[in-house]
Amino acid sequence: MDQKHIRNFCIIAHIDHGKSTLADRILEMTDTVKERDMKSQLLDDMDLERERGITIKLNAVQLSYHDKNGEEYLFNLIDTPGHVDFSYEVSRSLAACEGAVLVVDSTQGVQAQTLANTYLALDNNLEIVPVINKCDMNNSQPERVKNEIENIIGLDCSDAPEISARSGLNVDQVLEQIVSKIPAPSGDENAPLQALVFDSFYDSYRGVIALVRVRQGSLSVGDKIRFMATGAEYEVLEAGIRNPKEVPVKTLGCGDVGWFAASIKSIRDIQVGDTVTSASRPASQPLEGYRHMNPMVYCGLYPSDAARYEDLREALDKLQLNDASLQYEPETSQALGFGFRCGFLGLLHMDVVQERLEREYNLDLIATAPSVIYRVYLTDGTMAEVDNPAKMPEAVRIRYVEEPYVKAEIMLPDAYIGAVMELCQNKRGIYKSMDVIDTGRNMLVYELPLSSIIYDFFDKLKSCSKGYASLDYELIGYRKDELVRMDILLNGEMVDALSVIVHRSDAYSRGSAITIKLKQLIPKQQFEIPVQAAVGGKVIARTNIKSLRKNVLAKCYGGDISRKKKLLEKQKEGKKRMKAVGSVVIPQEAFMSVLSVDEDE
Amino acid sequence: MKMSDPQYLYLHVPFCRTICAYCDFCHTVYSQKASRLWLEALQREFGGRSVRRNLKTIYIGGGTPVCLPSAQLEQLLSLLDPYAGELTEYTVEINPEVMTEEKVKILAAHGVSRASIGYQTDDLNLLKLMNRHHSADDIEECMHMLRRNGISNISLDLMYSLPSQTMESLQGAVRRAVMMEPDHLSLYSLQIEENTLFAKKGYQPLDEDTEADMYEWICSTLPKYGFEQYEISNFARKSKQSVHNTAYWHYEDFYGFSCGASGKEGNRRYDKPKNLKEYCDNPLKEYTVHLEQSDMMFEMIMMNLRLREGLEPQRFLDRFGVPLADVYGSRISSLIDRGLLEFSGSLKCTEYGSRILNSVLEEFLPD
Repeated sequence: MDQKHIRNFCIIAHIDHGKSTLADRILEMTDTVKERDMKSQLLDDMDLERERGITIKLNAVQLSYHDKNGEEYLFNLIDTPGHVDFSYEVSRSLAACEGAVLVVDSTQGVQAQTLANTYLALDNNLEIVPVINKCDMNNSQPERVKNEIENIIGLDCSDAPEISARSGLNVDQVLEQIVSKIPAPSGDENAPLQALVFDSFYDSYRGVIALVRVRQGSLSVGDKIRFMATGAEYEVLEAGIRNPKEVPVKTLGCGDVGWFAASIKSIRDIQVGDTVTSASRPASQPLEGYRHMNPMVYCGLYPSDAARYEDLREALDKLQLNDASLQYEPETSQALGFGFRCGFLGLLHMDVVQERLEREYNLDLIATAPSVIYRVYLTDGTMAEVDNPAKMPEAVRIRYVEEPYVKAEIMLPDAYIGAVMELCQNKRGIYKSMDVIDTGRNMLVYELPLSSIIYDFFDKLKSCSKGYASLDYELIGYRKDELVRMDILLNGEMVDALSVIVHRSDAYSRGSAITIKLKQLIPKQQFEIPVQAAVGGKVIARTNIKSLRKNVLAKCYGGDISRKKKLLEKQKEGKKRMKAVGSVVIPQEAFMSVLSVDEDE
Repeated sequence: MKMSDPQYLYLHVPFCRTICAYCDFCHTVYSQKASRLWLEALQREFGGRSVRRNLKTIYIGGGTPVCLPSAQLEQLLSLLDPYAGELTEYTVEINPEVMTEEKVKILAAHGVSRASIGYQTDDLNLLKLMNRHHSADDIEECMHMLRRNGISNISLDLMYSLPSQTMESLQGAVRRAVMMEPDHLSLYSLQIEENTLFAKKGYQPLDEDTEADMYEWICSTLPKYGFEQYEISNFARKSKQSVHNTAYWHYEDFYGFSCGASGKEGNRRYDKPKNLKEYCDNPLKEYTVHLEQSDMMFEMIMMNLRLREGLEPQRFLDRFGVPLADVYGSRISSLIDRGLLEFSGSLKCTEYGSRILNSVLEEFLPD
């Protein structure tokens, strides 16, 4: 296929605006997928994605499309995640495209992530094709939403298709506009090879598989290639596209999107964002990769069974292959033993990684409460970055502590302004501005400590606005504040994995809320367990877990034996997800609970 | 007939007149037709199974065995007569609501020697909540009737930790029970099982502290009246411990007969069908589980530790040919160190260990 007939595009949208459904329809309408193979959200092939109804990983498929003049086009469609945590994934897929289909829900209008993703696409010089979705719904308002897009984003919507991705209504117009509006890839097919690695994953038979977008030249089976960042060289053994099943090809031409395998066994040889070139005729410059995203949230991950530490390391290695934003390094905890400090883009990312490790690698994990990175300025004039509250130096050595702040942009209807402002205020937010962006819709801007929004801010925002408020945030730098480390002592012993950094003014209320929460979560044991919260060695809150008084089956006769034995086995199984710290057995949820409590609880 | 055949027999009568709110045993509301089919099936079951004649105990439980009309009760007991010649204990569960002098005479004529009466409580509000329809006076009346017909060994079942029950209510119920001078008392804390009326109505058991207070009061009070605690929930006057139930706690083999019963014979445990029709269609049907040696070792511990007398290591050795210490030595020492078990001729729970027996038993399960 000549370059002029290739279109590389992605679909961007706010979460739940119908991105994956539109991808499904496009796959169907281009006859890529037979109806009998069709399952909902075809590109979301992770179980986790289907269950949660979200896209986590990007995914690329090749489609063939005949336009209304009968000309054949090759489409490379790259699906992207919609959640704020995964904007890194979005930026990766954008780098492989010339255009983006922007889906906006006509019942909801422009949302925070609509804006954020559109700006990302514009930054990447992509041509944007706006599409108004869910036009078959009763409360659909396509005209209003078109105006909104024109007013807020400044995109011309005069010929934006009014579609229903669910029913397929007007999706043909979207396909036509992909041909007419999105430019064909540029690039010289005779130039030395430059292919951008935008994703990779591990296959136990073929080694690492790289997903690439060929920018210049071409890549064929048998070619000797080089990864420009690492210098590693390999021979291409297999190449192909996905439709969405894997289809092998001999050559990936200029402008193509596809995959190749080269028996790459060392995971470290390949970096997402790197450029692949020819070993014999290398390009002089690598392509501009993309902005490396730094993790914003850290937590400790420990195997419940200490013997599985190496398995956890291997699983993290493999996950990192197609999740370059995941970072980790070994750490030890007195309470939890050997594990890893892991960095994530956000809480959802952390949740997803943890769940993938447990499901795909069959690991039982204990996760500590997530923490941001604090900058601790010491009396000796140096600065230490602390991503683990337990590592916070003693108070006497600290001059001051800085914590990361974000600018949060919240888009919301009039009715919820009061509730949302109260929420931001409670989270130590600093009000910056509020603008009316369209009739009845507002953009509220707050500056908030990152630590106060990572845990449950998103859920709280949704509940206090009945789901109508949407959020985007970006890091704006570090600020000094009165931050102290609060330690938790169980049975008189400090449990390092339960330490948490709090604002001095919140210490008392957080301390008592945490101790009460732990009292509810930690099962009663044979002895009374004091639970204390302490700042700088001084106990500021305390409660006791009373000893277990009665735990015995009232009746156990001949006919009860099997059933009662099963009950005991179940009880014992439940304890496997607990960790014995000293003489106290702590359930997995307890480690997260230090953040999940509300001051007002 | 082998010497190793079970010496104990349990027979389940799956009928009741009304259904108690806490009960998840196999039961169905009595009907003449269903009970006639059941008795025919039972006859076939006895015909098709070989059972030793010189049993030590028979226990007829339910359901409500005595909800059968006199003629059917007569038929049932006649089926058991061939095995009842040398019994040391012959127990039938009794519900005073459906008891008549005529039925008592039938029981006595067939050699029934022990009655286990469902008393539960004397608190009328709680009885109503449990869907039971008798009073403490009815219980007393029933006891007199049994005793004057020669069935003198009587046990009363009580329940505590009932929804909204107070300590005072429990104490009143226990005192009233003691005054009736039974030979044996069983006191069960309510467990709200799935598929019971209580579970469906969303009743919650009392909190652990109240339940523990009640249990501690029971354990410290009953001995003052001459009832020694010999098992977690069972108290008896001197030499009046239930022989049949003690066999369960000794992890002995026993036959299980009829719909809803279970039995154990060597390394084979079986459940009879719980569904009445399934049982009547094929009364010899059994759902069998083959027990591994390790299962049986655990189960022997699980049952024996319920007894005050505990487990004699010799009995474990005799049963399995392996010393107890070889199998569970390190677990036992750790539990002794933690003050939950003690050893003096036999391995037994400390007082605290018996209160939290589930936690103790967990330690004996494989990791």
